[in-house]
Amino acid sequence: MVRDKSLTARHVGGVYWRALVAQIRAITEYPADFWVMASAGAMWNVLQFAFITVLFAAVPDVAGWRYHEMLMLSGLFTVASGSTALLVDGVWSTGQMVLKGEIDYRMTRPAPVVVQVATTHIGMQGFGESGIGLLMFAYGWIGAGLSLAALPIGLLGLVCAIVIECALITVFCAVNFWIKGPMSNFAFVLVDLQSNAMVLPLGLFPIGVRIVTLFVIPVAFVNFVPVAVLTGHLSAWWLVGTPLAALAAVLAAVGVFRLGLRSYDSAGH
Amino acid sequence: MTHGFAVDRAFATVAFKRRLAYKTQWVLGLVLGGGAMLVSMALWHDLLADGALSGYDWSAMRAYIIIGFVTATVVFGAADWQIADRILDGHIAIDLTKPVDFQRARAAEYVGSMISTVPTVIVGVTGAWLLFDPPGPATATAGALTAVSFALVFPLAFGITYLTVLVCFWTKRYLGIMWLREALLGFLSGMMIPLAFMPSWLQAIAWASPFPHFTATPAAIYLGHVDTAGALGLLAAEAAWAVGLWFGARLVFRHAVKKVTVHGG
Repeated sequence: MVRDKSLTARHVGGVYWRALVAQIRAITEYPADFWVMASAGAMWNVLQFAFITVLFAAVPDVAGWRYHEMLMLSGLFTVASGSTALLVDGVWSTGQMVLKGEIDYRMTRPAPVVVQVATTHIGMQGFGESGIGLLMFAYGWIGAGLSLAALPIGLLGLVCAIVIECALITVFCAVNFWIKGPMSNFAFVLVDLQSNAMVLPLGLFPIGVRIVTLFVIPVAFVNFVPVAVLTGHLSAWWLVGTPLAALAAVLAAVGVFRLGLRSYDSAGH
Repeated sequence: MTHGFAVDRAFATVAFKRRLAYKTQWVLGLVLGGGAMLVSMALWHDLLADGALSGYDWSAMRAYIIIGFVTATVVFGAADWQIADRILDGHIAIDLTKPVDFQRARAAEYVGSMISTVPTVIVGVTGAWLLFDPPGPATATAGALTAVSFALVFPLAFGITYLTVLVCFWTKRYLGIMWLREALLGFLSGMMIPLAFMPSWLQAIAWASPFPHFTATPAAIYLGHVDTAGALGLLAAEAAWAVGLWFGARLVFRHAVKKVTVHGG
């Protein structure tokens, strides 16, 4: 049984990887589109970098957070957000596939439907986003005076941030199994609110917002908690919550997608 | 090719009704714009607690953020995708056979779709007014000139949007082009942070572009940061950009339309 499980995991991993490679090969056929999209992803975050820099020319801190700490906060979110475009961008098409009945033949294939849906597309903006995000995070890290000894915590935060973000977007896109529509509005609202609010210190917001982002929809564990622990704004104990939030988000994504598939009744019924 | 005003009105009405049919877009615009507005309020309430920064105190900033919400909702909620799709899927080949001016028809549709965002604006501004009690315009004249500035945002937004959509003649997708435009507009208009906070060289770059007229111009007039003569100068610049972009787009279109490709060759 153990052998079968490992083969299954390898098979799923193989399907996922081959599908992604196929998408990358497709991208190379349209170099102009690649550069426009990658530049757009980079531009948003260069301007976010500029926003923080301009702001901190006028103020010494925001709710106790200094310039380089804010860069880390923004950078880690950007890496996570950009990675979703590279790793699971296809989930944004869940609503359209449900409407058009395009889940049908994916259910007959010997691979998890969520993996097949997630790999139907790659968001080329993710290259620019992740690149600039990593730059911001690294620049903030050095500027904040963090040592290399903290690198394992940084890497744990980075991996968990990507996992949580991918899983949460999958959950919010899967809402379209029940609330039919071509647009993934719920996921779009999640990402938009995150990109506005979660690149700022949580202390700016009322207690209700803090509780929701920490314990209901754990977006605070994507970037705020890891960076707050690294920079000493939160106790190290909070770090335990980061992998737990990642595990919970993945279980929620798998569970919600399975429930969605159960309620899926193809098109035209 | 030119056509009558009745045709423009018909295009605008159809676009308006089409947008109204998707009521979730109203709610979505309110949640997205309202969310961004609340986040900005939280940030600047904290930063301006001890006094003014770069000429903005908490009272002025509340009005500034609401003005940014109004223009962002109207501009980002317009139907630019429909113009892009016509180029990308080849519908433009049919449009070119019709006895209507392509640019004017798209402008009418675009303005119609912008008007459809007004209910979202009204609900959002009313809510913000009740929650944050922003100051009124500096003078009655400033209030009237702010309204003129908002009105000029319609042709200005179309000019910038249409010019960037024309890039679709050379690309296969529109999303990245839209993001690039929105990123520049969000930053250089002062929606993200007032231009007064920026270093002088960056302010000069911003004011050399049409983007500040989306937020910085109406806000400066409303808050009385410029006198009446200054306000009229800003409005003249805004109008000049709208006219310049209109004719600039005609030149680009004349060249770009030679690149049109339709599915199947």
